[in-house]
Amino acid sequence: MVGRTESSGGSVAIGGSAMASTPKFGSFYGGRKEEELDCSSLYDLTKPHTESFDYFVERGLEEAVRRLQPIELKHPISGTSLRLWVEKPNVSPPMKDLGSQALDQRLLPSECRLAGLTYRGIFTADICMQWNNGVVVRHNISYGKMPVMVKSSVCHLRGLNQKQLVAAKEEATEMGGYFICNGNERIIRLLIMPKRNYVVGVKRTSYKNRGPSYSDKGVMIRCVRPDQSAVTMRMYYMNYGSASLGFSVRRQEFLIPVGIILKALIESNEYEIYEQLMSIQSDSKAMKGALGSQFVSQRAKIILEEVRQLSLFTRHDCLQFLGNRFRPVMGLEDKQQHAAVVGEQVLNDYILVHLDNPLDKFNLLVFMLQKLFALVDGMAAPDNADALQNHEILLPGHLLTIVVKDRIQDWLLRVQGQLLKEMKEKPAENDLQLKHVQKVFEKVPASDVSKKVEYLLNTGNLVSQSGLDLNQVGGFTLVAEKLNFLRYLSHFRSVHRGAFFATLRTTTVRKLLPESWGFMCPVHTPDGSPCGLLNHLTAACQISSDLDARGNKKDPLAIRKSVTKVMVNLGLVPVLPKLSNMAPPEYLTVLLDGCVIGHLATGAIPSIIEHLRRLKVVDGSEVPADMEIAYIPCTSAGSYPGLYLATTPSRFTRTVKQMFGDGSLELIGPLEQAYMEIKCPGGNEPIGPKPTHEEINATAFLSVVASLTPWSDHNQSPRNMYQCQMGKQTMGFPAQALQCRADNKMYRIQTPQMPIAQTNAWNKYHMNQFPTGTNAIVAVLAYTGFDMEDAMILNKSSVERGLHYGQVYKSETIDLTELRQRGDGVTNVFARSGAMARFKEQADKSANFIDIDGLPYVGQTLTEGDPYCSVVNKMTGQSKISKLKGSEAAIVDYVAAINTGSKDPLQKVTIRTRHPRYPQIGDKFSSRHGQKGVCSQLWPDVDMPFSAVTGMRPDIIINPHAFPSRMTIGMLLESMAAKAGALDGKFMNATPFKKSSKEGGDGKDFAKTGGNDGTADLLGQQMNAHGFNYHGTEVMYSGVLGTEFVCEIYLGVVYYQRLRHMVSDKYQVRSMGPVNPVTRQPVKGRKVGGGIRFGEMERDSLLAHGAAYLLHDRLHACSDYHTANVCGFCGSLLATVPLPTTRGSLGSLGLGIQQGGKKICRVCNTSKGIETVAMPFVFRYLAAELAAMNIKLTMTLSQN
Amino acid sequence: MDNVSYQRFPTVRIRDIKDDVLKFELRDTDASIANALRRIMIAEVPTLAIDLVEIESNSSVLNDEFLAHRLGLIPIVSDRAMEMRLSRDCDACDGDGRCEYCSIEFHLSVKCTGDQTLDVTSLDLVSSDPSIIPVDAAGRAADMGGFESNDTRGILIVKLRKGQELKLRAIARKGIGKDHAKWSPAATVTFQYEPEIHINEALMETLTLEEKQEWIDSSPTKVFELDPVSQQVVVVDPEAYTYDEEVLKKAEAMGKPGLVEIYSKEDSFIFTVESTGAIKASQMFLNAIEILKSKLDAVRLSFDTEEADDQFGELGAHMRGGGI
Repeated sequence: MVGRTESSGGSVAIGGSAMASTPKFGSFYGGRKEEELDCSSLYDLTKPHTESFDYFVERGLEEAVRRLQPIELKHPISGTSLRLWVEKPNVSPPMKDLGSQALDQRLLPSECRLAGLTYRGIFTADICMQWNNGVVVRHNISYGKMPVMVKSSVCHLRGLNQKQLVAAKEEATEMGGYFICNGNERIIRLLIMPKRNYVVGVKRTSYKNRGPSYSDKGVMIRCVRPDQSAVTMRMYYMNYGSASLGFSVRRQEFLIPVGIILKALIESNEYEIYEQLMSIQSDSKAMKGALGSQFVSQRAKIILEEVRQLSLFTRHDCLQFLGNRFRPVMGLEDKQQHAAVVGEQVLNDYILVHLDNPLDKFNLLVFMLQKLFALVDGMAAPDNADALQNHEILLPGHLLTIVVKDRIQDWLLRVQGQLLKEMKEKPAENDLQLKHVQKVFEKVPASDVSKKVEYLLNTGNLVSQSGLDLNQVGGFTLVAEKLNFLRYLSHFRSVHRGAFFATLRTTTVRKLLPESWGFMCPVHTPDGSPCGLLNHLTAACQISSDLDARGNKKDPLAIRKSVTKVMVNLGLVPVLPKLSNMAPPEYLTVLLDGCVIGHLATGAIPSIIEHLRRLKVVDGSEVPADMEIAYIPCTSAGSYPGLYLATTPSRFTRTVKQMFGDGSLELIGPLEQAYMEIKCPGGNEPIGPKPTHEEINATAFLSVVASLTPWSDHNQSPRNMYQCQMGKQTMGFPAQALQCRADNKMYRIQTPQMPIAQTNAWNKYHMNQFPTGTNAIVAVLAYTGFDMEDAMILNKSSVERGLHYGQVYKSETIDLTELRQRGDGVTNVFARSGAMARFKEQADKSANFIDIDGLPYVGQTLTEGDPYCSVVNKMTGQSKISKLKGSEAAIVDYVAAINTGSKDPLQKVTIRTRHPRYPQIGDKFSSRHGQKGVCSQLWPDVDMPFSAVTGMRPDIIINPHAFPSRMTIGMLLESMAAKAGALDGKFMNATPFKKSSKEGGDGKDFAKTGGNDGTADLLGQQMNAHGFNYHGTEVMYSGVLGTEFVCEIYLGVVYYQRLRHMVSDKYQVRSMGPVNPVTRQPVKGRKVGGGIRFGEMERDSLLAHGAAYLLHDRLHACSDYHTANVCGFCGSLLATVPLPTTRGSLGSLGLGIQQGGKKICRVCNTSKGIETVAMPFVFRYLAAELAAMNIKLTMTLSQN
Repeated sequence: MDNVSYQRFPTVRIRDIKDDVLKFELRDTDASIANALRRIMIAEVPTLAIDLVEIESNSSVLNDEFLAHRLGLIPIVSDRAMEMRLSRDCDACDGDGRCEYCSIEFHLSVKCTGDQTLDVTSLDLVSSDPSIIPVDAAGRAADMGGFESNDTRGILIVKLRKGQELKLRAIARKGIGKDHAKWSPAATVTFQYEPEIHINEALMETLTLEEKQEWIDSSPTKVFELDPVSQQVVVVDPEAYTYDEEVLKKAEAMGKPGLVEIYSKEDSFIFTVESTGAIKASQMFLNAIEILKSKLDAVRLSFDTEEADDQFGELGAHMRGGGI
């Protein structure tokens, strides 16, 4: 009965929304299984999005408004002072508009999708007003409606179980993480940022352009406040030995000698500062990592000398200097504040803003100087700014937090400006009392705040004065296309390097660096322009959050305290009391989140680290579970040594197994990973030090999409990259809630199947819920010649049985409110035009398609030009009928009548049509191994070759030449494995690296077996057991002749995907059609029925072939063929006009294209000698254009 | 070339005959005839299949054309198909379905009212002609004890949840597999040359017992066996041989080429015919011969006629023995 599996239509079917995912061929009958899927693996994928949005609404907003600059005003006459600030920001769950008569007042995401609304909730805050330092008056104000992330803590879907989700018309596996803007699902893109609060040494030639005597070396730190707003600070090395600090205010960089800041930060004297700086040096110059005392002392003196030359001797002097310089920059020109106060504010707002304490800032500056000097001296190498260890991620919630903070600050300033203006103009009336202030609130719309956020989401563009320390102004958001589940899911995991880097000519930023191992997938990046810039997180990579393992908010200060305490017990020398000569190589600086917490003796560090790692995995210990413990040891001219601890949010983390203790799972980061010894299961025994950690599984370095490729370890690597691309272009089963969606375009395959050869990830991520292909019987042979050059032959009967049948869903929203003029009542309604007696005739014609309500019948088949919607203008009685465009037939799938909230008649509908797409010649298909091909023939079943034993005819024939150069051995394995699996009725595990890892059994040393992991051997034996050839081949007969083939044919089962590129969307043909009115040449564009440009190179090839007739046909006859009348005497092309029939008639003066009739040359005033000449119309146009420039073009006519 | 008679008298010997499986030998003919029979069985033996579906109400999860496609693929008992008319050739009607010569009407009207999911199967199709019903292959197989009992509920069309309804009219028509795979009565038709296996006994005796067993095991199918008594290698099932030449390769690898000689008898074929259940496998074969004969009649009729040249072109001249 082997032959029965051949009919591809439905041998393995997928069930309803809650089909169990057991790896067995199940029965098709019976009720649905009620068990819940465990979707935690899917939720983990969108966690960075949802968790950070939770941060935004629950903690980030609070933190942001707390750090806003309050506005302070004083009335010029009465002297009343007013202080204004914002408190208690709150985003509430989305609700329907007031006046809606719905029973459920909640606005659900599915309603937004269908109705093209934005999923947003009201954003309010308290404005606190305080007059003359008196009682605080609170005034609740609405900042408009803030877009809300689906499945965030303010979303209605949070906490629903799968049944409830389905009831809310969502996927059972809904994972959230996106916004719904005007019905579209949009995501805020994850962006790479420099790691926060971490000093990076850089060498850039552009630094020399900062000014005279600037060198190319510097150190950089991106300081991030607890409210996620950032200020990047750079320290440049000056060629004369000093250093200068640079920071940007409103996108303009300001440079200050570092000495001034050092002195301004703490009350100190020059000797102390000198001593601090000199602690860099060590006497033992020869040792690695040490700086020369001579070198440092010279430069320390220069730094201090520089300040003295500006006659700044005390801290006060320095603060005053800063205050005077920065008063205009800070926007405090007309204030009476003392310069020193302004100076302190500068330090507060722009210098190392992640630290509050000036002493901490001072210590970090000293550390930065140390690092800078080490860099200059060649003792330390510059860090690679493109390496992942110096990166973190800008999370959606964090971006929103800083944007909203910026917008509210802007609003406050505008309120301040308005108040000042009014007080200046009419001080008597505008008394700065409550009434006045409230009036001003009305004048300065607060809802702008949310509008700007919505604008950001809709367009991806950021509007900000300060630039928010971000490197780009656009491209922050993208649409989460639900083309298929793979594409949808990888949107959430994609990480962009930043728009700036896309413009760079150099390719260094695109390089795959070993530092990314385990965090960024090496396989899953697109080819072409975004290659290497748009990466994807690995399936196992998690982003650290501001919550601890128990879900409580992390308190950075408490963490610093407890970690310091632990470290002091272990031998940390704290910062206070100051002791000098704590310098590498004997002592290393310990930094926690960019704060110097002390020094440790180098020798003790390894054991301390191990102790910390043990503590880290203990639940509830002083050391947070996701703390990064990066110990960079002393090396000569390596990275600058130190112990860098990080507990901040938005870092990359992943889990590995400890090989000490009881083998707990530990979260590690990319910086520490570079200095750890991590063993890969099944890998070679490491040559270096004994490994301390172990990878959990061998595929942890792959993204979700990449880990779905079966036996990707047997493929040539670019093929796996291609599959990652093609997997995302596959027609699949995009959503189970298809019926409740109105996406612009959605692809669906009618009979999808689970692949027989599947990886572990397939089940882990519930891909059975959203399968993307069909198990097809594939024969590898050169049969008819129609399989050349990656073409493939499909079996016509298989296609008729449903192989790769698909549909395209298209939705159109018709909104009549858009037609309405402002202030008008309802004039347009949906109705069949026959409502008016005058248009009876027209109505009868469309009655077959349009119901009395003006909307189409659901289930109606439409062909080109058929009407499907009718809108009647009540005033004029005229109707506007929408007709189906394109030559393709469509079926009305769904009509959604949308309540626009008012009591008006229906004003908005969404019509979804279904376009059947059966596989046809020219459609694109692909296996899961980057082997794409175009269908070249639908070959009759009887003409296909058949297997002698089983009688099996293949569904697909591909050419053997597809294999040798591409080396996709994984596909050959899949073919055999799925065949064996089909014979056994079992799913086959095709996880890559399985045999070389422990879970796959023997764990044989990869090197010893020469890469042969015995997979093929195993499969061969399985085939033998079923009476098939060991090598997967079968004896086949020609279907046409009935004779045996000389060769045995490789025949097996391969999971084939149908890609969304289909001829019916792409074919372009014309013989006649629209032309450009000026040149009369065919217009371009498929949509308008235009032609394809027959360009220069095409012309050249025809010339080379001597194909003169064809050339004439293409470029003249099929283009702008024109016959013109030329006067033989004057040679003019333009002067010939038809002889006017009646005097004074101006008809068709210039062109003279009327055929027949007498022509006259107006110059020669005769009709003699006028000849008809064929020419391109553009030539005539050229003559006209030249005439306009007073250049005459004459033609000489000759008989030959 | 003249006077050479190609006439042969093919014989058929039936090995195994069941409703849905037929195994027979076809001797004294060549591959062209064997393949012609195979091709006709797959693509040209007519059956009935649902060809037109009028959907009155469909609130199921599957869309209309999906359902129509599924209905079309349901095999229908087609014993009468041979004498029925193709609806496009039917004089009695315009092919609208209510014609006894060319079409059969089915009705399906199901609504789920219970809390359990309701399976709509081929058994819910109500035929206008009691002799023409969907094939209940599973039901018949259950009699033979071949299937599990829970699979006796007909062919699943769609599942309905509470409140969903499906109401439609379907018209089955006669057709052939060439036009659409749903009209193909054959699940599988295959043939292979009958193998002739000669073991070189002398050479075989030079092998040790283990070597013999190893050699036997090299064939994935059970062709040879070690006789437990004589400890000689014997051919138990020559037809199990798949022409994979594994044993020849093995013999060569053992350094004993010519251990066995295998020929294929080029005039003898072993056929396996599997039916979808629309018609019995044996009937399918008979129908195929019938159709082949009528095709040849068509050729013979036009032999020597004026139209032959038009109809057959160069082939016509060839048939008249004129050569090309």
